[in-house]
Amino acid sequence: MNALISSALFGVFLMFVGLFVKNKQSIKYFAIAGAIIAFAANLLDLRLTETGSTTLYNMIEVSRFSVLFNAVAIGATLVYFILCGSSFAKVGEHVADYFALIFFILAGITLASSFSNLLILFLAIEIISIPQYILAGADKRNQKSNEAALKYFLMGSFSTGILLMGIALIYGASGTFNITEIGLGTGELHPLTLCGILMMAFALSFKVSAAPFHFWTPDVYDGSPTVFTAFMATVVKAGSFIAFARLFHNAFSTGALSQHWILIIAIITALTLLIGNITAVFQQSVKRMLAYSSIAQAGFMLFAIIALNATATQGIILYAAAYSVASIGIFAVLLKLEDYTLDGFNGLAKSEPLLAFVTTVFLLSLAGIPLTAGFFAKYFVLAAAVQQGGLLWLVILAVLCAAISVYYYFRVIMAMYFKPGTPQVAAVSTGFKAGLIFAVIIVVVLGVYPNILLNWL
Amino acid sequence: MSLHEIIFIILSVVSIVTALGVIISKNPVNSVLSLIVLFFSITCHYVMLNAQFLAIVNFIVYMGAIMVLFLFVIMLLNLNSELEPQKRNWLKYAGAVSGGALLLVITGILRSASMASLDMNTASDIGLIKNLGNVLFKQYVVPFEISSILFLSAMIGAVVLGKKD
Repeated sequence: MNALISSALFGVFLMFVGLFVKNKQSIKYFAIAGAIIAFAANLLDLRLTETGSTTLYNMIEVSRFSVLFNAVAIGATLVYFILCGSSFAKVGEHVADYFALIFFILAGITLASSFSNLLILFLAIEIISIPQYILAGADKRNQKSNEAALKYFLMGSFSTGILLMGIALIYGASGTFNITEIGLGTGELHPLTLCGILMMAFALSFKVSAAPFHFWTPDVYDGSPTVFTAFMATVVKAGSFIAFARLFHNAFSTGALSQHWILIIAIITALTLLIGNITAVFQQSVKRMLAYSSIAQAGFMLFAIIALNATATQGIILYAAAYSVASIGIFAVLLKLEDYTLDGFNGLAKSEPLLAFVTTVFLLSLAGIPLTAGFFAKYFVLAAAVQQGGLLWLVILAVLCAAISVYYYFRVIMAMYFKPGTPQVAAVSTGFKAGLIFAVIIVVVLGVYPNILLNWL
Repeated sequence: MSLHEIIFIILSVVSIVTALGVIISKNPVNSVLSLIVLFFSITCHYVMLNAQFLAIVNFIVYMGAIMVLFLFVIMLLNLNSELEPQKRNWLKYAGAVSGGALLLVITGILRSASMASLDMNTASDIGLIKNLGNVLFKQYVVPFEISSILFLSAMIGAVVLGKKD
């Protein structure tokens, strides 16, 4: 609740900052301060959760899980502001408004982690989506950016329509919007239920870019300004996943209801893993490769939705943290490079050893190599699926796909360390380096001792 | 057949015919015009349900503001058949098959679904402004307030994208 209020207020605050602060580079310090305060305010909510979860007005449920996830999301946004904040001014004139929009997205994410009513779910998904359409088209003179915004807007609105249709059908079947009262699995199954669940599953799969609803992802992530892609592909995706997981774990798992949708989500997961990983292998542009890798990572996060147990809950939080921080780091390094193709990374280890080293750590984390956060993240979601039972084929497929992903992540590492070349790198400040090292420390600490995060749950 | 039923049938026929007109007509201006008629007949449906507020909002916002804007935009864009993108045939068939499958499923479901009927004695006043306001500002006050974030971000978007640099 505090996280929602503070992030919405800081969104408004930053709009006014844009009015009074003329130096575009100093706006980022206001945003960083805002994110720190929102982080602290969010932790104050832990008081409310001392005696279990608290539901406010039957709409928002503050639980330890939601507070912890909000902390991860706001923390990742803080890292993002520190690393990428200075690149905002390169996109366009309205720097303060971009920061404001990102705070509004954050408000949507805090809703996504704590909704207990389908109306709030719809609002959360919309508050997450609409600022993204704008950010995608922020680079107005670039045609690819315009194309990305329009494509994202049209397809996104369409999927929102499907989500609404699903909510309407669920309401028709159960007569309530409250996710704890829906209870459709007990007793005879209402015919509208399955259609409603399927529509909501498809709409949310679109929002998290799971195959076969992923076609917008490469174009949108490639066309949008890189600095916003870094946010869209990481924190936002994790936020949409929380909404997805929360809905299906709380509302659609009562009684025997889960048996009706688990296989469908499992097929979506398998497709996402295969398409994401195999297509990523053939990409020459690192930005586009990261777009496909985000599809592939979404496949792993989908495991947390299929597996209905406590390990899955831990897994999705750990995955959100590991994936967001590592990807934001790589995008931050990418922002400093002139050439986004693989050749642009040639010889980076010689000219900028620190950048090459941190990129290596982040890539290893994304690939899921032990001692990085990505390893335990993948371990937890796969272990949850094994505990669930009956999904061994999917787990084996996921491990194979993780092996494929090592190939395309290591291509970047190979280019940095073993290929000669002189990459064109923009000036790197000390603060930027400190931010990168901070992100590396997060990735390594979570990789060695994940309980530092999970003990809070 | 009561007068109420006769009006309902007439309005439903108009709704369905104009809804089909929106997607079938080749000329975008005709399409928008049928959409306006469609919205009008839906407004009449709301009036018959005693949902006065919804009817007025639908009438003013959708029919009045949005559709007129639509019409202007389409007339200004000067669309003609040369500019129309080439549609591939297999795409049409794929769309028809998947849309038809969805139609089949939903028809099947709705045939077998039993809907709890509303108690008209208590429910008939629910659409009045006073009752709607009570529900909106008591039971649903949180989503109502939260939607302001959504509108604020949409407004920022209009400024960010629309303003000249």
